[in-house]
Amino acid sequence: MAKQQKKLYALTGKKKYGFSLPLTDTIKIGKRKYKIMIKEDEKHGTYILWKNRRYPVEIIQSRQNKFEILFNYVSYSFTIETPFSLKRKQYLSKEMGQVEEEKILAPMPGKIIEVLVREGTEISRGEPLLILEAMKMQNEINCPVNGTVTSVNVKPEVSVVKDDVMLEIKISQ
Amino acid sequence: MKIKNILIANRGEIAIRIIKTARQMGIKTSVIKTAAEPSAMYLALADNVYDDTENVSEIPVFLDIERIIKIAIDSGVDAIHPGYGFLAENPYFAQKCADKKIVFIGPSPDSIYKMGNKTIARKIALAHGIPMTMGSEGKIPTENEAVRIARNIGYPVIIKAASGGGGRGMRIVTREEDMSKMFRLASNEAEKAFSDPSVFIEKYIENPKHIEFQILGDTKGNIIHLGERECSVQRKHQKLLEEAPSIALNDDIRKEMGQMAVKIASAVGYFSAGTVEFLFDSEGAYYFMEMNTRIQVEHPVTELITGIDLIEEQIRIAEGKELRYRQKDIKINGWAIECRINAEDVQSGFSPAPGKIEQILMPSGENIRVDSGVQAGSVIAANFDSMIAKLIIYGRDRKDALANCKQALDKVWIKGTKTTLPFFRMLIRNPRFIDGSITTSFIENELTGYHVNSEYEEMLAAWLATWLFVDENLDESNLKINFEETKNLSPWLLNKRITRH
Repeated sequence: MAKQQKKLYALTGKKKYGFSLPLTDTIKIGKRKYKIMIKEDEKHGTYILWKNRRYPVEIIQSRQNKFEILFNYVSYSFTIETPFSLKRKQYLSKEMGQVEEEKILAPMPGKIIEVLVREGTEISRGEPLLILEAMKMQNEINCPVNGTVTSVNVKPEVSVVKDDVMLEIKISQ
Repeated sequence: MKIKNILIANRGEIAIRIIKTARQMGIKTSVIKTAAEPSAMYLALADNVYDDTENVSEIPVFLDIERIIKIAIDSGVDAIHPGYGFLAENPYFAQKCADKKIVFIGPSPDSIYKMGNKTIARKIALAHGIPMTMGSEGKIPTENEAVRIARNIGYPVIIKAASGGGGRGMRIVTREEDMSKMFRLASNEAEKAFSDPSVFIEKYIENPKHIEFQILGDTKGNIIHLGERECSVQRKHQKLLEEAPSIALNDDIRKEMGQMAVKIASAVGYFSAGTVEFLFDSEGAYYFMEMNTRIQVEHPVTELITGIDLIEEQIRIAEGKELRYRQKDIKINGWAIECRINAEDVQSGFSPAPGKIEQILMPSGENIRVDSGVQAGSVIAANFDSMIAKLIIYGRDRKDALANCKQALDKVWIKGTKTTLPFFRMLIRNPRFIDGSITTSFIENELTGYHVNSEYEEMLAAWLATWLFVDENLDESNLKINFEETKNLSPWLLNKRITRH
């Protein structure tokens, strides 16, 4: 990491939060500065103290620059970018278009009951892809994008663990 | 006959709920220790624990009728309480108990059978003039037959498992093209859940309220109702929040529906606690849906507004005692709300989020009751239901109960899994929920988000993500991060402190 980088950005997909480096434990809102504290005790586990209130926090995922944070029971996903990587990312997305592949991951451990698509099936957002049984319930897993199924990695009666890649879909423009 | 020792053929919060009442009545309790949950909370509270951890059968013990009977005989109990779930609504199990001279704390095998089979229940209701939706005469053998009947009734229709309940084996069909797929799905699910693939079809009432009446009957033929519960906050036909009474009913309609509920229960000679479920449409018309022949998850809201312990009544009735109350003795007093705090990810369509509970702190106080079978260290396993705790709130009236509920929800602290908590915190602030006008389609059709959106909280989460990135990627000595509170904390220690999944 080069020393001249003075800022990091946390991107949600919709929003961008910039933080100057070195990272401090205060956040400015309007004219006032507020202190953030990471704390931990036996009773509460890890939490953030902000304006005299405790907020439970958990890290659901941290993979390279991708983070999923459970903050006050609500989950937020971020990618962290430096000014340079942010520029490169913006440039790439302009040049190459959107991310082309969508992987359908098992949202929970369970058993596949039925696969409703095949390789080559054209599918629209919201249409059912497969039925996954977990916690006594059959859950319809719906397609998050418009596209074409390129790979089917599961079949009925097969068990999956969380985050198994069940299907891959090529996103249509 | 006085019951002295009960085997509780269930786990989790309902096992603990039954133990509490049994203890007050001076009755000993036995519970079953399973390999899946050898350190579950309910085990510590019972008088006797039957160790079934060596059981190598593929059938989980709480679904294994023969084994439960054997355990009951070995433990020398005189009665079995099945809680809710599979054993509670299995006529064969109730009969088996009777054969072995063990008191089944619940209704007769005959009532369970008649009300458990939804097509028979429909026929009985029809014969007694209970208002009902149009539907198929009985089970539907083929997809083609399903298409023919649905044409007759008119779409939308709902396919339901004949032996079903609890939302499983149920599918709504809005157009003929979907019928064959939905028929298969419902039938598959019914087979899996109830070992019976047969389904039937009813006209689907759009945007109804779900209103159910609590029934109590004794073996002498006395039957009363304890007022209604409204359970319109549902997703995928699974109840999330229940309240009693319902804001939709006035005294006249309450009386009329209550009488209908008593009538259908009487038609099958019902005794013990039971629930008659109705759909209530926007015109104020109501339709009999089904009767549940067991204690229900949401029974506490009725207990709070009537002051009657339903488990105690179940036990008294099972002992052959006469009901202590007549209909005129039942007074509704105040308002109660139950929030089901489940290990679910509300941001992924309420998908199960199993995991280990690291910390759990539930609020307490005069107007708060918590029924839970979970403590710090408990694991919410993928093969059991996802319940963590029922937060049950009382108030003088609905407004007061809502205010108390809002406060209590802010005090809940659970770490380790995603929970339905953000959903309830959003719901309790939703104007449509507050004014009481919501229906069972509210979550799926009207809500755009399932949690409160807070800009500040997202920003704080962004800060934490950035902090973690810095912690993991940049050389600490280059940075001079200024954290007063965490200054001397080495990164590996913080890593350990923050739970990773």
